[in-house]
Amino acid sequence: MPTTPIMTVTDLHKTYGKAGSKQYEALKGIDFDVQPGEFVGIMGASGSGKTTLLNMLATLDQPTSGEVTIHQQPITHLKGNQLADFRANEIGFIFQDFNLLETMTAYENIALPLMLQNVASKKIKPAVEQVATQLGINEFLSNYPNELSGGQKQRVAAARALINEPAILFGDEPTGALDSKSARELLDMFTKINQEQAVSILLVTHDPFSASYCQRILFIKDGRIGQELHRDQLSRTDFYQQILDTLGTFEQ
Amino acid sequence: MFKLALSGFKHRWRDYLVLFSGLVMSSAIFYMFEALATNQTFLKQNSMISMISFVFQFGSVLLTIITLVYIGYANSFLLSMRKRDYGLFMLVGARKGKIGQLIWVETLFVGILATIVGIAFGAILTIGVSHLLVQALGLTLKQFSAWYTPAALVTLVLYVGLFLIAGLFNLVALTKTPALKLLHSNDQPNRPRLHPVRQSIEVIIGLASISIGYWSMAHLIDLKMAGIGIALVTIVLGTYLLFNAVFVWLVVLLKRFKWAQRGLNSFTLSQLSFRIRNYTKILSIVAMLFALALGAITTGLGFHQQVPMMAAGGSAYDLSLVNPTAAQKRTVASLNPTRQATYHYKTTSKVVYYNAAEFDQQPFYTANTSGTTHLSFKYAKNNAKQMKKSFYSYQLGDLQTRLNVRKAAVYLPAAAYQKLKQPEAQLLVFATKNFQKHFATFKQLTKAQNKRGANLQIAATGGRYYAYQEFNGMYSGLEFMGFFLGIAFLAMLASCLMFKILSGAAADRQRYRMLDKMGTTQRQLKQALRKEIAVLFVLPGIVGIIHVLFGLQMFKVIMITSPYTGIWLPFTIFAILYLGYYWLTISIYQRIVLQ
Ligand SMILES: Nc1ncnc2c1ncn2[C@@H]1O[C@H](COP(=O)(O)OP(=O)(O)OP(=O)(O)O)[C@@H](O)[C@H]1O
Ligand SMILES: [Mg+2]
Repeated sequence: MPTTPIMTVTDLHKTYGKAGSKQYEALKGIDFDVQPGEFVGIMGASGSGKTTLLNMLATLDQPTSGEVTIHQQPITHLKGNQLADFRANEIGFIFQDFNLLETMTAYENIALPLMLQNVASKKIKPAVEQVATQLGINEFLSNYPNELSGGQKQRVAAARALINEPAILFGDEPTGALDSKSARELLDMFTKINQEQAVSILLVTHDPFSASYCQRILFIKDGRIGQELHRDQLSRTDFYQQILDTLGTFEQ
Repeated sequence: MFKLALSGFKHRWRDYLVLFSGLVMSSAIFYMFEALATNQTFLKQNSMISMISFVFQFGSVLLTIITLVYIGYANSFLLSMRKRDYGLFMLVGARKGKIGQLIWVETLFVGILATIVGIAFGAILTIGVSHLLVQALGLTLKQFSAWYTPAALVTLVLYVGLFLIAGLFNLVALTKTPALKLLHSNDQPNRPRLHPVRQSIEVIIGLASISIGYWSMAHLIDLKMAGIGIALVTIVLGTYLLFNAVFVWLVVLLKRFKWAQRGLNSFTLSQLSFRIRNYTKILSIVAMLFALALGAITTGLGFHQQVPMMAAGGSAYDLSLVNPTAAQKRTVASLNPTRQATYHYKTTSKVVYYNAAEFDQQPFYTANTSGTTHLSFKYAKNNAKQMKKSFYSYQLGDLQTRLNVRKAAVYLPAAAYQKLKQPEAQLLVFATKNFQKHFATFKQLTKAQNKRGANLQIAATGGRYYAYQEFNGMYSGLEFMGFFLGIAFLAMLASCLMFKILSGAAADRQRYRMLDKMGTTQRQLKQALRKEIAVLFVLPGIVGIIHVLFGLQMFKVIMITSPYTGIWLPFTIFAILYLGYYWLTISIYQRIVLQ
């Protein structure tokens, strides 16, 4: 069923270091698409270029060459206000840490993107409460980040990423600092919003368990996509096993 | 172990640089102040008013308090910088005694080094500033030297003492805290809370103590030293309490408004409330420094403006010449004098005879003062008859030559005057529109006049030109103190705010980056940044101005004019400096935080 992809990545290259000095080519030509409502995982060994790739896709860094489009809009050369608007409206992210502003309460953190867009204050409160209910963090809204557990923090971060109803959500090892229970809760929540709201999700992880929640996994090796796995109709446990097997052969 | 500590040092050299330069600035300014305050010969020489040394003691105590807070502040910055490192050391099994030693050595080392560099820097600053002031204001200074050993000693003793205390404090603080807490010390909760009862009590006590302070400054004549002590304690305390109560309340209140929900306003408010405790301290310090700097400059400028006014009140003429040559007459004419007269006279050893008719034709103007000062006066015309009666006719004698200045003046009818056998001379008196403009010409005229012989030398008493020189000499010391201290306090204020802002920049940088990632435009980021820093500038500015307006009461005792005359000028100068400083701070901060 061919639909228009929400994101296309074409021949993406990234070389670190200026010409003349010591250079390192982290990405050597990446091509893939993400369909609307798809939950995609990116795996690979440490140093394989996962974070580098995600930063390009999420407009946090510029590729050396190649193009990324989201909603058919090329994003690699956005600048200034256009870039800011794009970030504010089209994408959301969650990182391993440094997600929240520790000077603000959970409520204020979640509401911030709306405030930045100068949304009427009447509309802000219901919107925050709605996502908060969805993610089960209603009771913590008045807490400051240092009064929250790691898992709760990540859920607040997710709420903030989702409040603008982005087309695509990026996560760079969002479960990296969490225990298995919190990680599971967060991943369940990702699955839920992915299914209920058809938000596309792109998740970087090196944890096979986290990856097993995805529908499709891209394996990166030495700056290229080495392999692709589809979950199709497999159960999660079977998919988990398949990932483990693939990693076993792939990493060699 | 020491290697480990040193590696931490290397890693954070930027933070250390901020800390170090802050301390250098502070000790340099303290030295600058003490170079004046401890130089008793200079103070005595330059002020007939014993009040001045009170004012300096006041300043000394205040600056010590400020230094105390400043060092406490710097120390907590140092501590917060090292907490994580030391927590890590403890986790990997370092002994507490060893760590205690390290902290102690580090604090003292940084402190003493900064103090020594600071004193040297302070001496250089003193040279520069005093030179600049002497040039710009045309002052004459006696007994002032940029290097003054007692001042250096006072500075050294105070700072080393304070660092010993700070080191001790760090020792206790770090070794008594469990390692885990040290590791996470940076994300401490800081929830602004409203305690209506406590805060209203704070406001009441704050206002009460500030009023007591204002009252005692206004009644300094009766209270003497005690008044300064009272004012000092009450105003510092009151300012702090007031900021403490009002600031928290203001932030919490503002958050409730719709306005707080727009753009980055809620972020800015959160930033402010997150550091509320630091901010209230810094705000009170800045308010005090602002008041001191502005007060000092206002007073200095007051003295400066007083000099020409006093000179103008002593005579209606700028200068006089006896038997002027044709060249001198031409020079005078080129100045476009607004008032000019030539009187003929003949002298004996006791008396100067004038031709009364000449005074009826060209009346002599006198400056008739009212009250005890030279400052409220009217210029009055006098014919010969009036000259005989007027108390102020001595002003004619003052314009005479050195030989004639003390002789009695007699105004003869024309016939009687003609009969006198003595040789006749001419006295030329003149006034210009703005006597301060023509100093160079006046100087040249008098120089030429003096060369023409002892009997033609004009007495250095009459005319605004001579009076100006004299008053200027009298007030130079006071003016210098005012401006010098104003600059010193302004620099201290600058370094306080700069320090505060830079010490938080690293953490802020992360926050602003996060906002950037979330899709905040550069404009919004810059606005947020400007707003936050503007609060730190505006609030203490307002309080500082109020303090100054009341504080100037103190100077009623010393100044002949009301200390409030022409107050707009120093205020404008100060506002421009302050605004410039605001822009500087913002641009530095932007460069750090938004790179
Ligand atoms: N700013 C940079 N400058 C130079 N080289 C960089 C930079 N960032 C990353 N690299 C290099 O690019 C390669 C890919 O880094 P990247 O952070 O994308 O790895 P990763 O797959 O996310 O690893 P991990 O799983 O450990 O997070 C690494 O070899 C790294 O050394
Ligand atoms: Mg990574």
